[in-house]
Amino acid sequence: MMKRKMVNFKVNGELHEVLVESNALLVNVLREELGLTGTKYSCGTGQCGSCTVLVNGKPALSCLMLAVAVDGADIVTIEGLAKPDGSLEPVQEAFLDHSAIQCGFCTPGMVIMGRDLLNKNSNPSESEIQEHIKGTLCRCTGYTSIVRAIKSCGK
Amino acid sequence: MITVNTRILKAEFEYFTPNTIKEVLHLLDQYGSDANVIAGGTDLLVRMKNEVISPSHLINIMKISEMSFIKAEEGWLRIGAATKWHEVVEFCAKDRKYTALYEASCSLGKVQVRNMATIGGNLCTASPAADSAPALLVFNSRVKLTSAQGERIINLEDFFKGVNLTAMAPNEIMTEIQIPSINNGMGSAFMKITRVGADISKISCAVALERQGDICASCKIAMGAVAPVPMKIDQANKIVIGKKVDASLVEEMEKKVSEEINPITDIRSTAEYRRKTAAILLKDVFWKAWHRAGGDK
Repeated sequence: MMKRKMVNFKVNGELHEVLVESNALLVNVLREELGLTGTKYSCGTGQCGSCTVLVNGKPALSCLMLAVAVDGADIVTIEGLAKPDGSLEPVQEAFLDHSAIQCGFCTPGMVIMGRDLLNKNSNPSESEIQEHIKGTLCRCTGYTSIVRAIKSCGK
Repeated sequence: MITVNTRILKAEFEYFTPNTIKEVLHLLDQYGSDANVIAGGTDLLVRMKNEVISPSHLINIMKISEMSFIKAEEGWLRIGAATKWHEVVEFCAKDRKYTALYEASCSLGKVQVRNMATIGGNLCTASPAADSAPALLVFNSRVKLTSAQGERIINLEDFFKGVNLTAMAPNEIMTEIQIPSINNGMGSAFMKITRVGADISKISCAVALERQGDICASCKIAMGAVAPVPMKIDQANKIVIGKKVDASLVEEMEKKVSEEINPITDIRSTAEYRRKTAAILLKDVFWKAWHRAGGDK
C-alpha cells in the first residue's frame, strides 16, 4: 500500500536520486543506501545528537527526519567536512590534537556542532561551546577535551 | 512510555507535501482523524516510533511558505505556525521587548531541535511542559485555527484541553500565533528547571508585569509542567497587583502559587518537589521581570 517516492538531494556536494519508502528515516538512507556510516544512529528519539548532519547549512537530527521530507535539500555529513584532497578540516584536526575522542560514537555529531558554532562565532567562549553542544551527548563523558578542542580552533 | 524500536519507523503511511494551506485543508477534510499534520517532526516522529500514535496519512506542512513568517503590524506580532524556532530566536534577539519569549525560545530543546521544530508544533503537541506556552500565555497570545469552513481565533489559554489534547477539530490546522504588541515599560522573564541542559523541563515559569515606581500595575504569571495543561495563574498574581511591592508581599504570592498549581508525580519530579520549587522559581522570575520593568536588562 505504501508508495515509494523518488527523492533528490545533494549529499556532500554530490547529487543523489534515491527511491525511498515514505517511512524511511534520513539517517538510515544515508547509512544504508549511500554507505555514509560516519553518521551514527544512537538514541533515535532526538536526545543524543549522534545523528546530527547539516541540512541546508543547519545542524539537524537525521533520526527524526523522513527522507521524503529532505527532497531538494543540501546535506553535509561528517564525510563531507574533510577537504576534497582528503585532509581533515581544522575541527577534526583539533579533536585529534586534544585527544577529544574516546569511543568515538558522538564524535561526528560533536565535530559538526563545533564547525557550526565556529561558522557563526569565530572565537567562542567555553560557556558558548557548552551551550552549543549541550544536546550532543558523550557517554564516555569526555566533555573537557571536546570543549578544549573546539576552543583551540577559535581566533 | 515504553520505547519500542526507535531505529526504524515501523508505521506505514501515505505522505503528502502540499504547497498551500488550501491543499492541507482539502486533505484534512478527506482523511480527518486518520491524518496527522507533520511540521518539524521532533515530537511526532518520536511518538510514531514509540507507537503511541499511528496515523495512516501524514501531511508535511514545511513547504508551505504562507505558514512561515514573522510580522509586526497593527498592534500584533504575528508568527506563522510553521515558523522554526531558530527564526523566532533570531527575531526576538533583535526586538528584545518580548524578553520572556526570547528566553523561552533560547532554552527550547537544543540547537538541532530549534533548527527543525516549529512554534505551532510546540503548541499543537500540547505538552504540559511546552517551553513556549508560559511565555506566550503571559503576553495574552491567541492562535488562529483554519478549516475549510473558515477561520477562528481563540485565546491560547482556551486552546489547551489536556495532555496532548487541544481545542482543534480534526479538520482544522493552526496557521498563526498572534501576540499583542508590548507596551514600553513592560518587563518579562522566563525560567525553567531541568535535570540536564537539553531536558524537558520539570517546571517552568513566565512573568510579564508593568510597574509604576514601586507599585505593580499589572502582573501575569504562567507555569508549565504543573498541571495537565500549561497554566495561567490567576489567583497568586492578584496579590501584587496595585500594591507597593516588597519581599514579604512576593513571599505571600509564592505561597499562594504553590497552592494554586496542580502538579503530578512523574518520571521527572514529584508533586511535592514541584510545589516547593514553583514558589522559588516564581520568586526568581518575578524579580527578574520587576527589575527589567524598572529599566534594568
